[in-house]
Amino acid sequence: MIYQKIEFQANPFRYQLYFTCRITLVRGDSATGKTYLYQMLEDVKQLDAYRDIRLYNYKSDEFHASLQKCRNKFIVIDNADIILNDADKRFINFEGSNQYLLFLRNCDGLNVSADSFTVLHEENGQISLRKELVGI
Amino acid sequence: MIYLYTEKREAENWILKNDLYFNLYTGNLPVTEQDRQAIREIDGAEVTEDNHIETKYGLGTIRNLSSGCKTYLNIVKNPDKVVSTKECGGNVLARIFALDEIHIFMDYPERFEIGDDVRIMINDREMVAGRHGYELWWSREYERRAQDDLPEN
Repeated sequence: MIYQKIEFQANPFRYQLYFTCRITLVRGDSATGKTYLYQMLEDVKQLDAYRDIRLYNYKSDEFHASLQKCRNKFIVIDNADIILNDADKRFINFEGSNQYLLFLRNCDGLNVSADSFTVLHEENGQISLRKELVGI
Repeated sequence: MIYLYTEKREAENWILKNDLYFNLYTGNLPVTEQDRQAIREIDGAEVTEDNHIETKYGLGTIRNLSSGCKTYLNIVKNPDKVVSTKECGGNVLARIFALDEIHIFMDYPERFEIGDDVRIMINDREMVAGRHGYELWWSREYERRAQDDLPEN
């Protein structure tokens, strides 16, 4: 695991994100703050403590080639449902040195476990990843 | 009738990147009272007179709406387009499936509420009704994909 926890303050919210799997999927309803979290991580990655974060979304240039070069990184992918292809999914499955936080609904083709499925949960300004109940 | 397509096409009248299409095109169209209501209900956001939005994350423009909300607005404001719903959560999909005469693309099933009286024409070939018909069609589709050794999407 590259990071077991990512913590930061973004008033009026405090993020405490704990990771138990190499691949974490963030799903849930629309408008729960997934893209807002992605935007915050763009700043958080500037901190020394989180310099291994790599971020991709539909605006990223040369996404597929860039992803394939990643080793020992914490890779965050927004819009993953529309930008991941089969080769990307194979890379994610088999390049074990990376850790992934994927904003992705359809997990077909990915080696995930029941613990991989999460939703963003807010309570009293504290935002965390809560396990999503799914049947696999 | 909802026209649902399950095979991806790269065509001029298809919207596959909803954020991009909304930011460049749909977001420039006038915001109606119905749009404001949908934005309020989906994103919990209030649209100001000058098309800014106020959400719990702060002030922004309508380009800061969620991907799900942008998808919903792309559908209702571009009825001639086939719009991908791949990035929509169940809360938005339930709203989309309450619309009529829309064209959408979805290549895997999702769990959300569909009224029993909702008629869905799939791939211009088969018509099903309601949640039950939708689930039954997807079950058969996954069986077909398994038999044909096709990827699941």
